[in-house]
Amino acid sequence: MRTLIIDDERLARKELTNLLNSFDEIEIIGEAVDADDAFEKINSFTPDLIFLDIQMPGKTGFELLESLEKVPRVIFTTAYDEFALKAFDFNALDYLLKPIQPERLAESINKIVTAAEEADESAGASDESKLTGNDQVFVKDGDKCWFVRLSNIRLFESDGNYIKVYFDNFKPMIHKSLNALDGRLDDRSFFRASRKHIINLSWVEIIEPWFNGGLMVQLKGGEKVEVSRRQAARFKDMMSL
Amino acid sequence: MYSVILSRLNKQRLYWICQIGGWSLYGIANLIGFSYTRAITQNLLIGEIFQVGFYFFSTHLLRLHIKRRDWFSLAWNRLLPRLVVATFILSFTNSTINYILVTGISSRPTTDLVALIIVSMIVYFLWVLIYFMFHYFESYRKSLQFEAAMHEIELNNLKSQLNPHFIFNALNSIRALVDENPSKSKDAITQLSNILRNSLAIDKKQLVDFTDEIRTVRDYLALESIRFEERLKTDIRIHPDSEMYKVPPMMIQTLVENGIKHGVSNLKKGGKIEITTDVVDSMFVIRIRNSGKYLNGSTDTSGYGLDNTRKRLKLIYGDAASFNIDNEDKNTVLTEIKIPQHSPDTDGNVDGLIQNETI
Repeated sequence: MRTLIIDDERLARKELTNLLNSFDEIEIIGEAVDADDAFEKINSFTPDLIFLDIQMPGKTGFELLESLEKVPRVIFTTAYDEFALKAFDFNALDYLLKPIQPERLAESINKIVTAAEEADESAGASDESKLTGNDQVFVKDGDKCWFVRLSNIRLFESDGNYIKVYFDNFKPMIHKSLNALDGRLDDRSFFRASRKHIINLSWVEIIEPWFNGGLMVQLKGGEKVEVSRRQAARFKDMMSL
Repeated sequence: MYSVILSRLNKQRLYWICQIGGWSLYGIANLIGFSYTRAITQNLLIGEIFQVGFYFFSTHLLRLHIKRRDWFSLAWNRLLPRLVVATFILSFTNSTINYILVTGISSRPTTDLVALIIVSMIVYFLWVLIYFMFHYFESYRKSLQFEAAMHEIELNNLKSQLNPHFIFNALNSIRALVDENPSKSKDAITQLSNILRNSLAIDKKQLVDFTDEIRTVRDYLALESIRFEERLKTDIRIHPDSEMYKVPPMMIQTLVENGIKHGVSNLKKGGKIEITTDVVDSMFVIRIRNSGKYLNGSTDTSGYGLDNTRKRLKLIYGDAASFNIDNEDKNTVLTEIKIPQHSPDTDGNVDGLIQNETI
């Protein structure tokens, strides 16, 4: 796995590099010293995995993740941030406490490598530049955080300058524009139902005719979304496949 | 909880000892008094025993009444009339029964009833006086004790603690340093153990010598320098008279740590920590300057540590010490502490705080 190490302390980066040298699966493609540096390197090198320190000068590790469109697999490294990690009670999260125990590191890497292999098998060939169901996004709402796989997201709904992201029982907001997101999503899985909505086609449950030749789509989560007349024909085409 | 029950038992026992002992003494003293003027007859003895018994039970009833109606919580102007009425009723009953009995037994009145009542009222009043005085003394003692305990707890809560984040980051840096620079990593382990030892020792001390504190700070800064490398610059200038002063343990360390955490560590290019001490009009002045910006109370947890420091100084020195933090210029935060000198007798004051622990 192509790996990027992000930490503001040289010795911490060195220590992690030393530890990672004994793992054949891991290929270290670079180091970043803060969030801005990391942002550039993630976008240009597109690593599969990042080791991320939470406390850094300038932006924190969380802020970095929020700014990313497509989040690689993440292993957090932190000295003592119970508080910060509490935000993640909801989903499995990989983090390592510094000084890092080699055994714990091995466990985390194994877990991630296995998960990556499974994902590769199910994904098949896909357009690299588009976000597919297997990609994950980082969502932070108040003091709660989630890594969400796109395939688990039923609906994106624009709300002012924000997008409401519907998954599981949650609908946190992210600060992005729906148009920009639409351009990045794989249109075989995601469909722009209207000016305000993007739906995940695999979550569609019921489709009913609606006024003016539009459609009313009900998702498996219970949300109802109106498909505009202009989009309805295209939608029918896609669903009939 | 255990001690509360114990003291209640003790108080109960003390009451009975005083009640039985006191009234017995009263009876014996009376009899001795009588023996000078007349012969102690059997009747007189029975009469006296009855008297003492009556006093004993009636005051016990009075005590129950006082407790049940919670007369302790009454103000003087409301308590006094009640006490007067109560003592009057008791002494009237007591004297009347006594009068009838004595006249009945000896068939001749020894004294007149009014005199008996007045004497009896005085006796009751003395009892009430002793009883209430004991109570007020006790509750005063308790409130002092309570205050001292609260003071102690508060001070303990305010004590600075070593930040675990720092410890683990330091250990992580040391781990990497073991390969790169073994001798430096050995020094770092020594420095870290000094700091840990000091932070454990502060539980026992209210104040430490400034010299000890600044040694901890130097160790601390040395460790942070390993972590931040060229991003952390330090400058310490100590006034030669500083060694005469004592400071609350880990206080300077905490403030320096704050300066690094909220200042230097947030700057990509890093920054500087500068510590200077001075003696002005026998006040000890400690100034800590760090790169960064002080956002007044508006943000995060920094306020807590500062508030703690402020409260701690207040508890130890009252208004004699001062604490200030502000932006000195655009890129520098200045933290200033002024601490009074401890001459041997004011030292006693501070020791007093420690003694409270043993009460």
